[in-house]
Amino acid sequence: MTGALTVDARLTRGAFVLNAQFVAPTDGVTALFGPSGAGKSLTLSLIAGLKRAEAGSVTLAGRALSDAPAHARGVGVVFQDARLFPHLNVRQNLAFAQKRAPRTLLTLEDAAARFDIAALLERPVRNLSGGEKSRVALARALLSAPDFLLLDEPFAALDGARRAAFLAALRAIHTAFALPMLVVTHQIDDVAALASHVVAMKAGAVVAQGPLAETAATPAFQALLARRDAGAALPASALRRGGEGGGAAWLRADHVLLASEAPRALSARNVFEGAIDAIEVEPDGARLVRTRTPHGAVLARVTEDAVRDLALAPGKPVWVIAKAHAL
Amino acid sequence: MPTGEELQILATSFTVALRAVVWSLPVAIAFAYALSRPAFPGKSVLDAFAHLPLVLPPVLIGFLLLLAFGRRGPIGGWLDQTFGVHLAFSSEGASLATAVMAFPLMVRAIRLAFEATDERYLEAAAVLRASPLDRFWSIALPLAAPGVLAGAVTAFAAGLGEFGAVITFASNVPGETQTLPLAIYAALQMPGGEAQALRLAFYSFTLAIAGLASAEALQAWSRRRLDA
Repeated sequence: MTGALTVDARLTRGAFVLNAQFVAPTDGVTALFGPSGAGKSLTLSLIAGLKRAEAGSVTLAGRALSDAPAHARGVGVVFQDARLFPHLNVRQNLAFAQKRAPRTLLTLEDAAARFDIAALLERPVRNLSGGEKSRVALARALLSAPDFLLLDEPFAALDGARRAAFLAALRAIHTAFALPMLVVTHQIDDVAALASHVVAMKAGAVVAQGPLAETAATPAFQALLARRDAGAALPASALRRGGEGGGAAWLRADHVLLASEAPRALSARNVFEGAIDAIEVEPDGARLVRTRTPHGAVLARVTEDAVRDLALAPGKPVWVIAKAHAL
Repeated sequence: MPTGEELQILATSFTVALRAVVWSLPVAIAFAYALSRPAFPGKSVLDAFAHLPLVLPPVLIGFLLLLAFGRRGPIGGWLDQTFGVHLAFSSEGASLATAVMAFPLMVRAIRLAFEATDERYLEAAAVLRASPLDRFWSIALPLAAPGVLAGAVTAFAAGLGEFGAVITFASNVPGETQTLPLAIYAALQMPGGEAQALRLAFYSFTLAIAGLASAEALQAWSRRRLDA
């Protein structure tokens, strides 16, 4: 793949060995997913040139980044802790990026309007809230016109509506500027909401990578998830949802019902017809039923009794039911 | 109120110390920034060199300056022939001796300011396409500026009181190189000069305290300004 970010970076830190080998396409958003301590942030630092790998290479669209110092890579970073310069106000922070950019993606005023920070421009950065800092940091990164944008859990400090708004802003800039992104996160809902592509890491190594829905369905990927997070990615366009969201949604196996007949007069807004693919027995006796639907595979966690009473078996047609507010 | 002669001494002290700070500040900033960076070859040699004036006797510093910058010294001879400049036994020479003596003090204060600068801001600047030199001017120096100022003020206050190196290299010429401590020394050499020495000591003490207080105030102000 020529128009892609290709990462092959190895680094040893005491007992921790990082061996990050993956490809992130430039025509989408890639999520770098995994538990804390998997080496996600370290991988980001290696791509940005803030740390040096012991071996390997990083190339972007065929250009070897790993030979260049950080300031010459054209790779932008939005840090988890924003890192706004404390001796500059908001406008000066944005201008810092704009002055050094080789081209103009958008003007400072456009960026301020887009991220709803126009009223903050003359404020010192220490007086900003966590959400405001995140938005200024994102605007600043965008004004430096990077060829590739890395984001290290920039929404970790945000919750609820502010988080949804930030995710929506990220999706919007990806679309508006065709800016490829690699987003580090350990939240499966963020992966589904943002990414078209996913790279899963565990203990310094990549365990799964590829397009979101297929990759998320692999045993290696599901093994990274907490028990309550087991589920599947479904395209948002196929779903009726309680909250705002785009991209895809993560449908948890615990939030899915199965019916052996077409359900009627039901409040649930999402009902899909499908056929059972496989039934897996979990260590505690619960059954994880994989059903193929027109929108992709869906996982449902049901009891042994339910499997027996509904005579669930591979090949059997079933209806998958999910509440809109579970999404 | 200071007498005319005392005002002359104070003016000499201020001129000598101020010029010393202005001369040594850029060099001290360069040394301090280099020493605040992670280990590099020759760092410990640089560190030791910067601290030499702190451990050598001031008279020896003055003597070494005479050897190098005296009219027959290698640098002094060149300056004499090329520019007709004589540093030994001049007000500028007193500043040079003061600058050398204040140098370690300045490097120390400024280095602490650079070391206290959060490396994460430099990383953020790097990924916004700022080169290492750009990062020094746009991030490291402004963030360390209050510490740099405090270092300069401390060095100025200390420079007002420099004695051994100045008297050896620049001698004790009233109106030219006779700074406060040299005047106090001269007063003590004269019978009945104790009253005059005491008055000068009072000025010296007041200036030193004022210098330290303003350095402290600068530090406090910077902490308030940069606490994000």
